Amino acid sequence: MNRSLQIRAGLTVVILLLSLWGLLPTFKALSISSAEREAAKTDHVLAAKIADIDAKAIRRGLDLKGGMYLVLEVDQEGMNPSEAEDALARTKEIIYNRIDKFGVSEPEVTTFGSSRIVVKLPGLQDPERAKNLLGKTAKLEFRMVRPATEVQAALEKLDQIFLGDAPVETAVEDTVGSTATEADTAEPEGTEVAAADTAANPFGELDDAFADETDLQPTNAEFLKTHPFSGLLVVQSGARPATPLFVPEENVARVQAMLDDERTAARLRGSEFQMDMEPINFGQGQMLRPLYLVESKAILSGDQLTDATSSSNPERPGQWQVNFSLNSRGARQFAKVTGENVGRFLAISLDGRISSAPVIQGKIPSGSGSISGSFTNAEASDLALLLRAGALPTDVYIAEERTVGPSLGADSIHKGVSAALYGSLMVIVFMLLYYRKSGVITVIALISNIIILMAVLAQFDLVLTLPGIAGIILTVGMAVDANVLINERIREELRKEKTIRASVQSGYANATRTIVDANVTTLIAGVILLWFGTGPIKGFAVTLSIGILTSMFTALVMTRVLMEWTTRNQGRQKLSI
Amino acid sequence: MEFFKDPKINFVGKMKIAFSLSATLVIVSAVLMLIHGGPRLGIDFTGGSVLQVKIDPAPQVQDIRSALEGRGYEGVQVTDFGSADEFLITFPLSGVDTETGDDAQHLLNDLREGLPGATIELRREESVGPKIGGELRTAAGNSIVAALGLIVLYITFRFVFRYGIAAIMALVHDVTLTLGVFSLLNFEISLSIIAAFLTIIGYSLNDTIVVFDRIRENMKLRRKESYRNVINRSINECLSRTLLTSLTTFFVAATLYVMGGPVIHDFAFALTFGVLVGTYSSIFIASPILVWWNERQKVDKKRRALDM
Repeated sequence: MNRSLQIRAGLTVVILLLSLWGLLPTFKALSISSAEREAAKTDHVLAAKIADIDAKAIRRGLDLKGGMYLVLEVDQEGMNPSEAEDALARTKEIIYNRIDKFGVSEPEVTTFGSSRIVVKLPGLQDPERAKNLLGKTAKLEFRMVRPATEVQAALEKLDQIFLGDAPVETAVEDTVGSTATEADTAEPEGTEVAAADTAANPFGELDDAFADETDLQPTNAEFLKTHPFSGLLVVQSGARPATPLFVPEENVARVQAMLDDERTAARLRGSEFQMDMEPINFGQGQMLRPLYLVESKAILSGDQLTDATSSSNPERPGQWQVNFSLNSRGARQFAKVTGENVGRFLAISLDGRISSAPVIQGKIPSGSGSISGSFTNAEASDLALLLRAGALPTDVYIAEERTVGPSLGADSIHKGVSAALYGSLMVIVFMLLYYRKSGVITVIALISNIIILMAVLAQFDLVLTLPGIAGIILTVGMAVDANVLINERIREELRKEKTIRASVQSGYANATRTIVDANVTTLIAGVILLWFGTGPIKGFAVTLSIGILTSMFTALVMTRVLMEWTTRNQGRQKLSI
Repeated sequence: MEFFKDPKINFVGKMKIAFSLSATLVIVSAVLMLIHGGPRLGIDFTGGSVLQVKIDPAPQVQDIRSALEGRGYEGVQVTDFGSADEFLITFPLSGVDTETGDDAQHLLNDLREGLPGATIELRREESVGPKIGGELRTAAGNSIVAALGLIVLYITFRFVFRYGIAAIMALVHDVTLTLGVFSLLNFEISLSIIAAFLTIIGYSLNDTIVVFDRIRENMKLRRKESYRNVINRSINECLSRTLLTSLTTFFVAATLYVMGGPVIHDFAFALTFGVLVGTYSSIFIASPILVWWNERQKVDKKRRALDM
């Protein structure tokens, strides 16, 4: 055996052994039974051991493991570059905090570009809940409710603003279930609604049992024309002590749009309207949402919170509430404001919607309180979590979402792997039939190719996805190409009556150039995919590109070693090819 | 085993038939696309949502449609997916849910309300906002243009410019026909289909380059043969290899199509079809274009010098 052959043979063996060694954790991870994984949930030592093996094994993508991929767009409107950068960084931190508290293993939160955050949550069981947690701003504020005497003037101002705007489409009027003509006659005094201060707890919600009488009026299209804002509302005294105004559920979107109009804030100056978190059922399909006139300036906000927990509501069995405590500065301020405003209403607002607006019974020195609403246990504990993690500095929107349930992930692995096995098997059988003994060398190269490819994935911590498996399968098909080129060349050379050794030598020499040229072009496509690739494409591009490189190695180095070695003593005998 | 021992098929002689066949197919594909108003872009590029749900007990597609009717969604498509109890619900995001903006979740809740008593498992959800959809569209377009550009550059560097153009014409042919079949079957173009297109480009090129490589070699070896003959001989010499590789790649792509599951069904279909078209084009289109070009210009000798 000549020296060069020895060196190449050594290199091949070393690479193959290294690859097998690199794949060892993956094999180990595969051999961990589900019973062991179940046991690890309670056994910390075992859990650490399994986590260690998993970390070194090939990482499965979210589509195989199940999980959620989210791209969040951070609203940076009206911010200067440094503010925008700061908002992005803080949002990322808070989102990470929330996920951390939510308890997902190996979450990934990264910024992407100047305004996006990419969140990857593998193995997530409840995507709906997670999404709720991530997108919420969770901005908690305490605002004084303006005296009822100011409501009438505020409504008139808004009506004036929108009077000049395009007339409302008739379609809307038809859907307005009931529009109160009384809105313009609503006497401020009349809305005072019995200081129904029956609750002993200053934060206890006031009685929600509404009077049976409903002074809801039938639709009045004419009225809506002259009163574009108040025409969408309903007056109903007695249902909520803090406000007589209600928004029928079908008008919520239109009212919100008007409230978000920039002219509204400019005109109302110092105060603003906020809707309730949830509508009240008045019976007969009437769902009405209270609308409060509150001060624009919050007296306190969520950043003064030291803790938030959930507990069941002592006054309403089956409902849950969130209890919070304020830091000393917040508590002092809270005591001062409540002391000065006994008898007025204090609204607790979350992300611009009012959760409750109890009457202040007296000074509250303790700096703790609760947020009630018709929360379920899970909703209350999630809200407490959000308040603990802090509010986002700005709004975020879900710009892209890809979620795969765990069962589909398992299905995909199963199908992908069996397609890979059967596909490879067909190729192997075909190669053996077509090339006989030389076919064995081709098959060895094919299998080595897959092993090295997988080892590269594991070693460089790359992610295997379903398109990635497709890439591997395709590589198997294409890797054969290099071997076919070589074998066909050798056959040609043999036809020219050359010796076996000479044929092998010139076969490889001639095929090498072709193989390189042909593979470089495919590699160009692969690299472009990598550069362009997001999500599903990237996984495919990774395995395809690596596969091209490894198949060039196995074809040009490994099979050549085997070929030269097996034919080293053959003279003019027949080569099985 | 050997398919061909020294084949001598006159491929270049069938040039005219092949060109007219291909031209017809390309035109038919273009017309098909026009009729359908361009390739049907999936939510990856238009923005929108896809929900894959498993419903027990399995309802009819019509039941799902009526459960969602009158709830403010526009353009909802419901199709069977894989098995009888799995469905794919596709719809454009239109801001039905004004509070969270999460239309997909809203639709799922409405569906649960509309199909009382059924267990609905969300198997997969993909939602893409219009902004990201637009960006992905640009990126996909750019990537295809960049791939084609770089490939021409590489072939010009390794061979000559004319070969690059011939290769690209074959590629455009392959991708157009695949797009045509997609229009015919009303398949959607998604991100993974773009990946399949780029793979077809890479694969078809691989085939073409192997033949070009042989042409270059034979141009030097057989100076006395005519241009036409050298090219035909080169195609024949590579024939075994071309068919063999196509066959193995076809095997695996078809296996993926049959066994890979519904999620990568369209992707595997594009690959399988692409392998067939790519093989055809590298034999009947790419190299014959060189002959056609050469004979039109009637500067055989000069060209030959350049081709080496």
